Amino acid sequence: MNGKTKQARVAVVGAGVVSPLGLGLAETLDSLLAGRDCVTPVTRFDVEQCRCKTAGQIPDERLSAYHQNGRRARRLHRASRMMICALDEALTQDAKFKPELTVIGTTSGGMSFGEDYYRSLYRHDRLWRAPSWIANYPPQKAVIDAQETFGISAPCQVIANACASGTNAIGHAFECVRSGKYQGVLTGGYDALSELVFVGFDSLQAATPEKCRPFDRDRTGMVLGEGAAIFALENFESAQSRGARILAEIIGYGLSTDNFHLTQPEPSGSGPRQAMEQALRSAGLSAGAIDYINAHGTATPFNDAAEGKAIAQLFGRVPVSSTKGMMGHSLGGAGAIEAIFCLLALQNQFLPPNINFRAPDDDVDLDVVANESRPAKIDIVLSNSFGFGGTNASIVMQKFAA
Amino acid sequence: MSLRIAGAGWITPLGRGVKNVWERLLRGEEAVAQTISEALEKKKYPVFPVPSDALKDLPPHSRLRRASAISRFAAAAGLDALADSGMKIDAEISNRMALVFAVSNGGVIYTKRFYHDVVTSGAQSASPLLFPETVFNAPASHLAAILGITGASYTLVGDGAVGILAIKMAADLMENETLDYCLVVGAEEADWLLCDAYHRWRLLKSKPPIEPFHEPPRGMILSEGAGAVLLAREGTVEIDKIHPGANFSRREKASEQMTRILSDLAAAKAEMIIASANGTFVDLAERNAVLHETPEAVVYAPKPALGESVGPSAIWQVIIAAQALRTKRLPPLLHANSKVALHVSGPAGEKISAPSAIVLSCSVNQQMAGLRLSI
Repeated sequence: MNGKTKQARVAVVGAGVVSPLGLGLAETLDSLLAGRDCVTPVTRFDVEQCRCKTAGQIPDERLSAYHQNGRRARRLHRASRMMICALDEALTQDAKFKPELTVIGTTSGGMSFGEDYYRSLYRHDRLWRAPSWIANYPPQKAVIDAQETFGISAPCQVIANACASGTNAIGHAFECVRSGKYQGVLTGGYDALSELVFVGFDSLQAATPEKCRPFDRDRTGMVLGEGAAIFALENFESAQSRGARILAEIIGYGLSTDNFHLTQPEPSGSGPRQAMEQALRSAGLSAGAIDYINAHGTATPFNDAAEGKAIAQLFGRVPVSSTKGMMGHSLGGAGAIEAIFCLLALQNQFLPPNINFRAPDDDVDLDVVANESRPAKIDIVLSNSFGFGGTNASIVMQKFAA
Repeated sequence: MSLRIAGAGWITPLGRGVKNVWERLLRGEEAVAQTISEALEKKKYPVFPVPSDALKDLPPHSRLRRASAISRFAAAAGLDALADSGMKIDAEISNRMALVFAVSNGGVIYTKRFYHDVVTSGAQSASPLLFPETVFNAPASHLAAILGITGASYTLVGDGAVGILAIKMAADLMENETLDYCLVVGAEEADWLLCDAYHRWRLLKSKPPIEPFHEPPRGMILSEGAGAVLLAREGTVEIDKIHPGANFSRREKASEQMTRILSDLAAAKAEMIIASANGTFVDLAERNAVLHETPEAVVYAPKPALGESVGPSAIWQVIIAAQALRTKRLPPLLHANSKVALHVSGPAGEKISAPSAIVLSCSVNQQMAGLRLSI
């Protein structure tokens, strides 16, 4: 994508994650290898009137056990707590990493505080907590809270490109380092489950009352999830010269805007295809170099058909999985969390499973990694995220061999 | 790399069109406040709305049929910025153009309607038509569809400084030589719910005017609208330095951070500062920074005339700075504390000769940034 001739290599020197699959890389790896189904009945709000009644959720007690810090911690939104957990893990791997910029994706920030405020207004409750809800609701707040916890003061760019936000954030951070303008950039994405968003997807009938079955012939829709993931990206030479441990390299990024419809992809998959082609060009690779694709794979009929067609046309029968069956769709966090899955797959040489898969879709010819993880020799992987508004983003990650 | 403003457009509580609003600002005019109310509560709040006739020339488009006010404002400002540049957009140009959209509160009117139905009647009443318009990037999606942009489109969310953060992101995107243009748009729509939220946060004033640089601060009035700048490698006004932004953990730290930003941007002793002063604690941070770094600079703040629009506010400031450099005039600063030690732009408007202008943006929720323009 970058038209400049001289481009810096971009190293991943830190990574952290919190999701329904676990807190931290080790728990996450364990869940991925086991193909664990971490989707459970929703407990955070009433879903009696919704078609869908399940989601991937992070237990509150696990988050609150982390970084308790008196009154300040109690005011934080759980999205902030997720970001603090993920950033802590990333910095534990490389305490000397100093970001000049932070680029994070999200779709809804501290939405549940906005819901608390509106419900209290409607019920004419006392609103003594309203100033705190309002101050802690904005999307940049979770990012600033996490940075403050670890004494980081980098300027924050918060990207809200719907469900592509996390991948867009990593992609833009990658471009910033690759251009040579920045040595180190923190990036990733987050979203916490909220009633407004849950009910919204339910109203569109995009959410399923059944199991989430990406790429299955009888798929009926998505379930929502939540979580956060952080990457520390650094100029490769700078990382090497200071002896940082390099976990992987980001080598390509592509994005496109599909103007077909606000909520539906163009049926032929031209938008996703354009993003994937651009990511390959950016990486200087042909499609045959990709060993695995972590698909957006929401399990909605429209998304999987369009994405499946684009993948099949471009890559043929490369192994593909959507990991959303295990933990749901964490929206702005999804691209970043799935990039973590790609990192773990490269480091541990396996293909994450596409669970709840029963039968292939007759219209889409894909090599789906059905139900169980597979050992595999993989060097280069691609991760997709697509969202409302026609936003499509793909990144390419490469195994680092010391 | 040279980054220049090739075109600008805005829709504000003083109307639409850069020249029209600029002349009204030079004459010392200010927006007329309206009171808005809500069935939920007895409280009423003043806002500076966009005049109802300001959108009458907006070309019809299927994407805008059900869209909220924020999307219409954005379309008006974006199309005006392109028209101002003299550019006729075609497939080749749109392929070499990125869109960066700055927003803070987003589509609050539809979000409130959507969630109100959920709260009052349950999830089964939730509207599938409203929900997609509640998503932060819905206005950017509509604008991209209207302009035929198929490449990079980013929605950036933040506070009042988000417009400058968006210009910084655009500058980073323009490092990529496959892009020739980046349209940066900021937009916001006013609603009772936002007023109530800022009121409960003790930042809102009960009636106009906004009085900048008063101690103690007396509060702000919200407004709405959109601003757009088309960035290119050619144009009369250059963005010659952008501070990437900073965060402040406590209000008391805002002065220190703003002083650092201004120190980084100040090129000469006599500067022109387009400030974000809105009648809240941010005024003190800006005043302290100017007195410390550029005490002789002439200061103008547009928010007493246009209100605090949050998302587009910094883009409006950038347009004002560019207009001031082009016309060598500054509008009068309205309702300022007469005892403030700053050199504020005078009642008859200020004739200026400064070759550069600094835009400062300190927002109420922890973000700040700045940039410098020259001609």
